[in-house]
Amino acid sequence: MSVAETSSRARTRRRLDADRLLTLACIGLPLLGLILFFAYPMVIVFLRSITVGDSYGLGNYTEVLGSSGFWRATRHSLAMGGATTALSVFLGFIIAHGLYRCAFRGKWLIRSVIVLPLLAPSLVQALGLIFLLGRNGVISRMLGVEIEIYGFWGLLIANTLYALPQAVMIIGAALVLLDARTYEAAEVMGAPPWRQFRDLTLPAARFGILNAAFVCFTITITDFGNAAVIGGDYSVLATEIYSQVVGQRNFNMGAVVGIMLLLPTVISYSIERQAMKRQQAGQVTGQEPYRPSFAPLRDISMAALSLLICAGIVSVIGIVVYASFVTLWPYNMALSPKHYDITLAGGYSSLWMTVVISLAAAAGGTIAVFLLGLGLRRLPKAVAQPIQILAAMPAAVPGMVLGLAYILTFNSTATPLYLLYGTAALIAIINFYHYHTQSFLTLMTGFRQLPLALEEAANSLGAGLGRTARDIVVPFIAPMLVSVFFFLFMRSMVTLSAVVFLTTPDLSVAAVTIMRLDDAGLTSQAAAFSTCVMAVVCLAVLSMKAVLALLRRRGGNRGAA
Amino acid sequence: MYLTVRDATKTYGNFTALDRVSIEIEKGEFVCLLGPSGCGKTTLLRLIAGLTELDGGTITLEDATLSDLPARKRGFGIVFQSYSLFPNMTVAENIGYGLKIRGVQKDDIAARVQELLALVKLPQVADNLPGQLSGGQQQRIALARAIAVDPRVLLLDEPLSALDAKVRSVLRDEIRQVQRSLGIPTLMVTHDQEEALALADKIICMNHGVVVQAGTPEDLYHRPATRFVAEFMGISNLLSADPVARHFPDLMSTRPASEDSYLACIRPEQIGVTPSETGAAVVRSISFLGNLRRLEVDGPAGPLWVETHGGSPYRPGDRVELSIAPEACTWVVDDTAGTGAVSA
Repeated sequence: MSVAETSSRARTRRRLDADRLLTLACIGLPLLGLILFFAYPMVIVFLRSITVGDSYGLGNYTEVLGSSGFWRATRHSLAMGGATTALSVFLGFIIAHGLYRCAFRGKWLIRSVIVLPLLAPSLVQALGLIFLLGRNGVISRMLGVEIEIYGFWGLLIANTLYALPQAVMIIGAALVLLDARTYEAAEVMGAPPWRQFRDLTLPAARFGILNAAFVCFTITITDFGNAAVIGGDYSVLATEIYSQVVGQRNFNMGAVVGIMLLLPTVISYSIERQAMKRQQAGQVTGQEPYRPSFAPLRDISMAALSLLICAGIVSVIGIVVYASFVTLWPYNMALSPKHYDITLAGGYSSLWMTVVISLAAAAGGTIAVFLLGLGLRRLPKAVAQPIQILAAMPAAVPGMVLGLAYILTFNSTATPLYLLYGTAALIAIINFYHYHTQSFLTLMTGFRQLPLALEEAANSLGAGLGRTARDIVVPFIAPMLVSVFFFLFMRSMVTLSAVVFLTTPDLSVAAVTIMRLDDAGLTSQAAAFSTCVMAVVCLAVLSMKAVLALLRRRGGNRGAA
Repeated sequence: MYLTVRDATKTYGNFTALDRVSIEIEKGEFVCLLGPSGCGKTTLLRLIAGLTELDGGTITLEDATLSDLPARKRGFGIVFQSYSLFPNMTVAENIGYGLKIRGVQKDDIAARVQELLALVKLPQVADNLPGQLSGGQQQRIALARAIAVDPRVLLLDEPLSALDAKVRSVLRDEIRQVQRSLGIPTLMVTHDQEEALALADKIICMNHGVVVQAGTPEDLYHRPATRFVAEFMGISNLLSADPVARHFPDLMSTRPASEDSYLACIRPEQIGVTPSETGAAVVRSISFLGNLRRLEVDGPAGPLWVETHGGSPYRPGDRVELSIAPEACTWVVDDTAGTGAVSA
């Protein structure tokens, strides 16, 4: 009998046992979700961009490309992206270098302050700047000068504050990779500190800096919240889509601008992914962490710079909290809680709705990426790879574009998906798919640390897929699951760009309410509402820390018993 | 025959990991799969475990086919090189996990766990987490976990390779002892020929996805069938027919037919060496290996390895006489053609 014959016989004999069905379900359900709630809407938005009347054509593109408004917004977006990137990477490097390559006390303070902007909707930075530097701002009045904060400069500062945490984290991660032995080798070979910095630290941070630059650029040109509040007449692509869709009800033109905005983000994201791979390739195990010794000139100046930047962040966020308690800014500075009585229709209902939506997005999303990761391990590489690429794609799509794609898809009676339109479920779904990539990649890192041999050992002992998942996989990656859950919860609490098109007068979310309050001139109430959102998110951060500590302690205690 | 693999074939794209491999294991037998990395030995073990799917061929256990049985239903025990204890479970939970899945009563599991901990000589660690144990201890627990369910076959995938030399030799003896006392048919994958020689009832030597030779450790060491086996199973002197005929004509009598492709294989300890002022060979270098000395000797037939026990009077440059008994020579097929040097 030939080899071919035996192998075909072996194949037909393979039964569909329970584990195989379970694996198929693990892959199938999340994959169906990705197709229905990511790939399909993206196809729709593309098709709408080339729909002219009843047929297809490039008419919309020529119209958009011929309009001066579009070119101005594009110029503005690119200039803003470039300036924000340069500034936040520069400041981010200073802070990361201070945190990981210098010796001074109080690093925990810098570490906590730096993530503050991530805990609030992006428009909070803008609000804070208005309270500080606006016409009635604290600093403007103190100095007695009129600062024009609406426009380029205000937006630049707000965006930089928003992008800075990402820059610090990415550059820091790159610096940490260079371990103590490398510096010791250089020291023994006679390299003075400045040479060690130039020849070791900088090259090590190279990919980190590049990576951070792309991330900051993408964040900036896709952000809507800051641009809407402090951009003023400085129109950017994100606000351009908003005005096309919401202002002029011109969905096809909005789709065109969306596709144009997609181009730079896709390019930037794919370069960033390549850089990330090269950085990971350089990783080695068994590192000796670098412990810097105190060098007065370097460390005092680095600490001072870092603290200065942190002071800026704290004042911008802090002023929002302070202003929310001021009776009548800036005339009656007495404190009162009256702005917490929201006068806009609906009051706090959107806040509670956002909490519910965020919990749903976090729970459903965590389960979905867990099933996907579990199933992907059991697929041949040739099948797993395209699914992995699809799962990592949503990060390249700006929230505005995804949101636009959702109304075009779900506000159409052509498919039963219409039933989802206008429901809180759809907002939970868009939040999950908007942040799908980060959740998926985080969990995949956890799965990569789980040796395949553990699952194989359980399998040989008689455990099926369900049992292995429960007894072996979940306990092993529990910290990652917790992180993903809270990540999705926090992003869903504060995101604005993706959901701005999906809210209705009856169904709103917190970030949209803040924007409406600000639009209505109720700036102090916007500050109060922002403070409430930040309180919820801070509570979530504390809960996450507590749960993670509990997980660690349980492992430790059981070991000591 | 207890476990039979017939014509097992496995390909990954264009790479053939296993090409119609057939092996057999008898009841209670300890079989070693020996070969260099990439020879297909681990693939074969994983096929038997059910962790990888067969592309062709059959695997049968006592005449029942295993091919469509998933790993979890085969009732085998497996120990990996990386210990692979479940980090979230205590030692006792690890060992009892297979029994728990089989629905065994709690008290019975506890009793069995104690018994197994005693068997692997670690009675005190039941409540520890794997991370608190040394590598050698973890591997003993992994062994206990694998045999807890009375496996029909025990599969060991390089179980000693991650351990340091001292622990390795102790654990090697213990694995042998446990296997003997329980009589579990065992298949172990290793690339270490010393380990295979010490442990196995039968060694299956593999290369490039095929079985090169199977037999007892003595067979493979003293009567290798091919040059690959001769070189893999320790140091050997390999000489082609011409120099043998000229300088050691006695050895030609054992050569099969008159095949020119055969090489004479002589183990270094089989060569007699005596100091002689008029000897045709010269000692070039000496390595002291504790219990023996290995000499590199330049002779008329080319350089040869010679091993001697006891205090050696030799110094580099000494002239010596070499002698080889005809029965000490095995003729092997040259299956690694094109490697140039004749002497190992």
